[in-house]
Amino acid sequence: MKKKKLRIALAGNANVGKSVIFNQLTGLHQHIGNWPGKTVEKAEGTLHFKGYEIDVIDLPGIYSLSTFSLEEIISREYIAFEKPDLVINVVDASVLERNLFFTLQLIELETPMIIALNQIDIAQKKGIKIDHEKLSSILGVPVIPTIAIKGVGIYDLLETTVKMIEKKVATPRQIEYGKEIEEKIEKIASLVRKINLPYPARWTAIKLLEGDKKIEDEVKKADPRILEFAHEMASEIERIHGHSCSTVITSERYEVAGRIAREVQRIQPVIKPSLSQRLHDVTTSRVLGYPIMLCVVLSIFYAIFTFGDYASTCLSDFLYGLEPLFDPILKNYVLKELVWNGVMEGVIAGVTIALPYIVPFYFLLYILEDSGYLSRIAFLMDVAMHKIGLHGKAFIPVMLAYGCNVPACLGCKIMETERERLLAAFVVTLIPCAATTVVVLGLVGKFVGLEWALALYVIDLAIIFMLGRVAFKTLPSEPMELLMEMHEYRMPHLRTVISQTWFRLEEFIKIAFPLIIVSSVTIKAIELSGLFEPLSVLMSTITVGWLGLRREMGIALIFGILRKELTLIMLATILGTTNFDVVLTPLQMIIFSLITMLYIPCIATIAACVKEFGWKKAIFITVFEVSFAIFVGGIAFRILGFLGMP
Amino acid sequence: MLVPLTSLKKGESGIIASIKANPRGRRRGGWGFHKRLMDMGLTPGTKITVVKSAPFRGPIEVYVRGSRLALGRGMAARIFVEIDK
Repeated sequence: MKKKKLRIALAGNANVGKSVIFNQLTGLHQHIGNWPGKTVEKAEGTLHFKGYEIDVIDLPGIYSLSTFSLEEIISREYIAFEKPDLVINVVDASVLERNLFFTLQLIELETPMIIALNQIDIAQKKGIKIDHEKLSSILGVPVIPTIAIKGVGIYDLLETTVKMIEKKVATPRQIEYGKEIEEKIEKIASLVRKINLPYPARWTAIKLLEGDKKIEDEVKKADPRILEFAHEMASEIERIHGHSCSTVITSERYEVAGRIAREVQRIQPVIKPSLSQRLHDVTTSRVLGYPIMLCVVLSIFYAIFTFGDYASTCLSDFLYGLEPLFDPILKNYVLKELVWNGVMEGVIAGVTIALPYIVPFYFLLYILEDSGYLSRIAFLMDVAMHKIGLHGKAFIPVMLAYGCNVPACLGCKIMETERERLLAAFVVTLIPCAATTVVVLGLVGKFVGLEWALALYVIDLAIIFMLGRVAFKTLPSEPMELLMEMHEYRMPHLRTVISQTWFRLEEFIKIAFPLIIVSSVTIKAIELSGLFEPLSVLMSTITVGWLGLRREMGIALIFGILRKELTLIMLATILGTTNFDVVLTPLQMIIFSLITMLYIPCIATIAACVKEFGWKKAIFITVFEVSFAIFVGGIAFRILGFLGMP
Repeated sequence: MLVPLTSLKKGESGIIASIKANPRGRRRGGWGFHKRLMDMGLTPGTKITVVKSAPFRGPIEVYVRGSRLALGRGMAARIFVEIDK
């Protein structure tokens, strides 16, 4: 029997437990990717229920359906164009009013929907009790109370979903605005009905009154007179209310949401502040906030690096231990060099980064995010991030970058607009990752002095700060400020965290591994064909003439494209010693480390940039950073030389 | 009395009267800025309470419509509230 296919979408505010519901519904049958051509994540999954094969799409968490962010546009276009069979609106019972504001907009889109009233346990702790039957009768849609992290109500939710689709129920009841606004909406809508638009007429009319740029453009293309008429109506409303029309409509929508919320919820003031409230007070307090944050962040780094270092050594020991097994198969010298030192070297490079560092990084990050602590960190770090033109949320990718640039680059998604994302990614690729730290400490820290290694870090930070500011000034359009909800603290849902980590790992492998392996083989092929010598001669104008390095060091820098720590390993191989102080001057070591910090992001980071921002921007960032590193390196060489550095 | 939100002390509240922004503009304080505040529920006539502010002139935490928001200081300076004094 062929199964009947259904498509449903999950929509709702951020942090309402949407991803937990998504996980409960689909388990491991998920696929995470990006929306075509966008830096917005798309999570899809399938499940089987009562003879149906149901595709579930987890839409991004948003607060509104205007055109403020990419997520909002994607969500509304998905609902309007792809027309899922049903939308499950996940609503946080503990902040009902804000969530209903979004629900009302979904209703305006005239999509068939049901409501999952989630986190009723958290609401209860805040003393909020909600009459879900009353809510259901007011909105005209089924409301299912759920506690997603405990799996409560999930079966009910699915059953109602299928029942609703089978019954082919009409769209929910429309919520009415004030009389004079309703009149104008109807007048515009009657005109809109005559042109052919993929959106519902009433919704289009409301959006025109709100001054939604995208809808205005589309209506203008079809019939500019409608737009003129809508503008007339809007200015009439503006005259009556004394606020812009979009403000009037948004306020009215919030008024309606507030009225419904007050009607269905009973609030009993809690005598003792909840644990969540007390935790919030402590973690954002003026005195304790920063020390706590410092402890949390440092212990995370410490844990990851200790574990990572240990696991990385074990893994590479194991993988290199496999080498003898290849000997009998690969008798040909060139073949063996290519397969073992090319392909396998690449695989090992990937595995020893991905498993020991990236997996725990993501795991802890998701725990922090899910629990709600990340938003508190953003709150505390907002001031610092403002200095480079970003707001508090950018601290998260920046923090990640000190571990590895790849997840950091992918993590820039949390910023609201394309502009902030690109700016954050640019800053992130300049941050020295764990591997770079190994080089700086292993070369300068060990042979020149720890204070010089520290100085390099300070210089690097200053450069990041400067470039960040320059990029911030040059990128066009409006800079964003922090505006974010700090939801209640809650227990993270372990299974969701694990599956999110798993899909991140999959993403990393898909993005990074092919490029790491290909470039590893390429570099090996160049070496085997004896091109290194001429190449290093070719590069010597820059490496020797401008930067004052030894000619062979250029080759080591090429290897750094693969993995930053390879610069140090190759340097030892090429120079034939690990006592770098014998063969290199302190100045050479400092310049070499400085270049390693600044030049080309490693190949995996470039791949992540390509995935998020496309080839053009990724190549621009790469080329810029390489030339900038060479420029700064040369200047530093001259200044330090002038100051008498040997 | 009409004052910017930033001049409210910890624990004080007021009613949002106006937002200094140009809803038709595309630059700083323009359409996106205005729309974002509206969508988060900071509409005129709404009661807003300042819970605390982060040190070093950081963002402020406000309580509005039953939820807790972090608000950049630059944004807060553009929100004017009515307080009874």
